[in-house]
Amino acid sequence: MNCKKIEHQLIDYVDGNLDKEMLKKVEAHLKDCKSCSKALQELQTVFETIDNEPQELPDKSLQINFEKMLQKEKTVLNDPKIVSLHKKTKTRWKTGIQIAATIALVVSAYFYGKLENNESFSQEMAVLEKEKTQMKQTMTISLIENESASKRLQAVNYAEEFEKPGNEILTALINKMHYDDHINVRLAAAEALAKFSDSEMVRKALINALDMEQDPGMQIELIQILVSIQEKRAVPAMEKLLHNEETPNYVKDQVKVGLPNLI
Amino acid sequence: MKNVTDEELMILVSNGNLDMMSILFDRYHVRIFNFLLKMTRDRDASQDITQEVFYKAIKYRTSYKKGKFSSWIYTIARNIFSDHYQRKKNKDQRLDEINYKTEAADRIEKDETAEQLHRALEQLNQSDRELVIMNRYQGIKYQEIAEITGSTPGAVKTKVHRAITKLKNHYLQNI
Repeated sequence: MNCKKIEHQLIDYVDGNLDKEMLKKVEAHLKDCKSCSKALQELQTVFETIDNEPQELPDKSLQINFEKMLQKEKTVLNDPKIVSLHKKTKTRWKTGIQIAATIALVVSAYFYGKLENNESFSQEMAVLEKEKTQMKQTMTISLIENESASKRLQAVNYAEEFEKPGNEILTALINKMHYDDHINVRLAAAEALAKFSDSEMVRKALINALDMEQDPGMQIELIQILVSIQEKRAVPAMEKLLHNEETPNYVKDQVKVGLPNLI
Repeated sequence: MKNVTDEELMILVSNGNLDMMSILFDRYHVRIFNFLLKMTRDRDASQDITQEVFYKAIKYRTSYKKGKFSSWIYTIARNIFSDHYQRKKNKDQRLDEINYKTEAADRIEKDETAEQLHRALEQLNQSDRELVIMNRYQGIKYQEIAEITGSTPGAVKTKVHRAITKLKNHYLQNI
């Protein structure tokens, strides 16, 4: 074994880290080799110097400062008011709150928007509805004077759809019932007016119509309406029909059936 | 408390029993201080860094994960030391200023051989110097140095031997 290889083993030799085989080889070499012995000696000097060097002691202030710092950290740990940056649980809790707040904000914004929308929407709808009714009335009145009988009939049917028709509509309907040339229009008008029998004007018009009407179909319709609305003032008109010789028998029968209900 | 291991104490600390850190401080602060003193040759800086090591150990107590306590505390010490070293470098501190501190420290050396050895130690690069200090001055085993420096015991042993050889050569040249 050459000196170079032995030199590599010297540190372990000094430290006592060599196995028996290597130890024997190194010891045998050291006996014969002066330069390696010298190297060993130098190494031992270095190590001895290191080992003999006393540990230095820090100033007392290090201990004192440590204890101060420890006390401070203990108060931080025990005082929840001081938020430590290294408390993971707390930050997680905080994040949770933040997420919850965000969700709450989004949800409430959604519902608020929906509510706002609904209110303005229903307001708009009410306006539109009103406009629609007005337009329908105007249309009905203009349509009711149309030359075509079917158009007039349509108008009467429209008029029937109003829940609270204006006087204009009622007057137009009464006119149709009294004077329209077409029997079907007069019938439809009478039917429509039956629905608005709450109005005194309508009741009077119905009684008048029975008085004036010549058409048997229309007479029967009017009798039925007047009986159903329990209009006692129609009794003279009905009796007149009974005594009139021109009145067809089936109309008279209808009066006979209806009259007892009124008296 | 003498029978309680460093690791058991540190687990108590990480669970919030901070008082246990003072026992660990008693066991380790002189060693850490001497390690830093050898690295810096500056008493004040070494005391400051030692203080910071234990401060960080308390601050980051929850990051301690059952490993060997001495390896953990040395790792912290090395990190803080290299932070300081880096900061000094950034400040463009000139070499002769460090040398000045060296000589100031040398005045208190009683033994001439020790003084020569210190000069030799300063001629080593930082990594070699650290290895020699840990292994020869502090008596830390290769295995543990490997844990602290993030290396393998075999590589550490080779590096330490080379560093010692360099140290010896510098020392002989200085005589």
